[in-house]
Amino acid sequence: MLLKRISLLGLTLSALLLLPQMALAHAHLVSSSPAANSAVHGPDVAIDLKFNSRVEIKGSMITLLLPGGQTHRLTLDSQSNDVNLDARTHLKPGSYTLRWQALSTDGHITRGEIPFGVR
Amino acid sequence: MIWLLRDFDLLALLLRALSFSLEALAFGGVFFLLIVARPARLPGEDQAHLRRVASWFALALALTQTALLATTSVELMGSAGLGWQEVASEPFFLAGAVFVLTSVLLFCLLCLAERLAFSVVAMLIALAASVALSHAASRLDHRPLLLALTAAHHLGMAAWIGALAFLLIALRRASDPGIARILARRFSAMAVGSAAVLVLAGAGLAYFYSGSWQGLYGTSYGILLSAKIALTALILTLGASNFFVLRRAATDPTPLLLRLRRFGEAELGLGFTVVLAAASLTAQSPAIDESPQDTLTGRQVVQRMEWRWPSLHTPAFAQLAPPTPLSVAVREAAYTGGSASDANDRAWSDYNHHWAGLVVLAAAALALLSRLPRRRWAQQLGQPWPLLFMGLSVFILMRADPECWPLGPRPFWRSFTAPDVLEHRLFAVLIAAFAIFEWGVQRGWLRWPRARFVFPVLCAAGGALLLTHTHALGEGTGEVFAQLSHTPIAVLGAIAGWSRWLELRTDTGALSAQQPRYQRWAAWIWPVCLILVGMLLLDYRES
Repeated sequence: MLLKRISLLGLTLSALLLLPQMALAHAHLVSSSPAANSAVHGPDVAIDLKFNSRVEIKGSMITLLLPGGQTHRLTLDSQSNDVNLDARTHLKPGSYTLRWQALSTDGHITRGEIPFGVR
Repeated sequence: MIWLLRDFDLLALLLRALSFSLEALAFGGVFFLLIVARPARLPGEDQAHLRRVASWFALALALTQTALLATTSVELMGSAGLGWQEVASEPFFLAGAVFVLTSVLLFCLLCLAERLAFSVVAMLIALAASVALSHAASRLDHRPLLLALTAAHHLGMAAWIGALAFLLIALRRASDPGIARILARRFSAMAVGSAAVLVLAGAGLAYFYSGSWQGLYGTSYGILLSAKIALTALILTLGASNFFVLRRAATDPTPLLLRLRRFGEAELGLGFTVVLAAASLTAQSPAIDESPQDTLTGRQVVQRMEWRWPSLHTPAFAQLAPPTPLSVAVREAAYTGGSASDANDRAWSDYNHHWAGLVVLAAAALALLSRLPRRRWAQQLGQPWPLLFMGLSVFILMRADPECWPLGPRPFWRSFTAPDVLEHRLFAVLIAAFAIFEWGVQRGWLRWPRARFVFPVLCAAGGALLLTHTHALGEGTGEVFAQLSHTPIAVLGAIAGWSRWLELRTDTGALSAQQPRYQRWAAWIWPVCLILVGMLLLDYRES
């Protein structure tokens, strides 16, 4: 019985110690517009994120980190296909960071960010 | 919510690992009853016991999946502002709900019905739901084929590793050596078939998810997959050894069956290390999706693995980049996975690993010395090897995370929000625990009979932990470079743990020359593995 408990402890510890590697899994960003560290023309900015796998629009979101440090959540357009998240916004010149969260069809959540500038 | 995001991610991964293990055990129980126990005419009460054990695994699977579903739902409701009904209409939720319900159904059927036909149906529906929650479900290309390969991979794992646990339980209860031999032979035949299915399906998945040989050695996913393949090859070797033992067990099966049980324990332990590696693969992006700038070339891997003398010079603490406030770091890490390290950070980390390598090497050399037969001086000199690991534990606690307590400004408890900090501290605790237990056993002041098994179990657990160890180095190849050292160390740690386990479990108290050959081999394997771990740590670098 004691031996079983030790074995169980070993397995439980192994499981407990499994830790995630964030923002590098499942729905993986393949390409984006604006691209990371690029500059785009304003004020109308179209945002298009393309992933390597199917993403669910309801569980996904795009947030903009504004030059002043405030955040602004964008309304996602209806999906043109299963792997894209799209949005449109009006932006003044400045530096922005786009933060995304994607829910893939298999239930995994991934996140990432894309810094870009508006001229 | 931002403070909890990474904790929720951690919890989800942890539950997924547990779910994989319980799925293999619950399904493995059904396979064992159907293909081994029933045809072998195992006595009714033993079959009932095995059904009961399998049913509890099915119930634990249902509870784990419920917790996983709740974790993801709460995270989505908190971070994306979804309502309960919106979350409940997502495909992952529907698949998860089916998984939970069919697992509960499997529990009930195994408890109440002797016939297994309905249990098999419930198992297959649960399998379909499990596969719907895998990488394959969200892939764009070859989706039906990937779903079929994933299902075959799960079934192969259950019928081999999961069912092996039931063989060990059945052998332990079997009073008739004849029945035990029949059970082992039937299981052996099933294991050959299921291992073939597991390996073929795994090869197919590796082909589609790796994309190229470079994907297999130049990405985090590929390196972890290679470790999984290496461990599977080792388990296959143990399994093959048992297969041939059974061929000789026709006349006097008792001693051979005992050996088979001991090998089976090591096989099972390594098998669940592979299951845990599989769970951590689900947190990695398939190699085929990695961009060329995040993938190492063969030349880079060869250069990285070339031997260089360790650096025992550390940058001063003041030379390290000042840490950002924890609230900022938590927010950034949620979206970027951490920040890239500079030259001083890398030199600090290299120094830590090199000193750790020296300590492990010295401890392993002493342990090896203490194995020398008929050399009393060597045994006495080598005996204090566990004490060196105590020093290593303190060293890790002090230096592994310079931005946190005790060196840095981030407080002890709040810095647990960073998973790599949590991991380093768990490492320190694991190492200290097995050092204390092993030292206590050797000095004789720890008289608890099972205390000697703490070292192998924690050593194997440490190996499993390292299979998922990340340094939050952000995007780029820094993480892959670190994994080139960490992953082989993890594999060696698991092998060291289970070979020590095998040595202890087969110890008859006889003189060295009279001990079985495999026991003498096991006694040498684990110190050699620790020496190799020390060498790998001495050659560690993150670029």
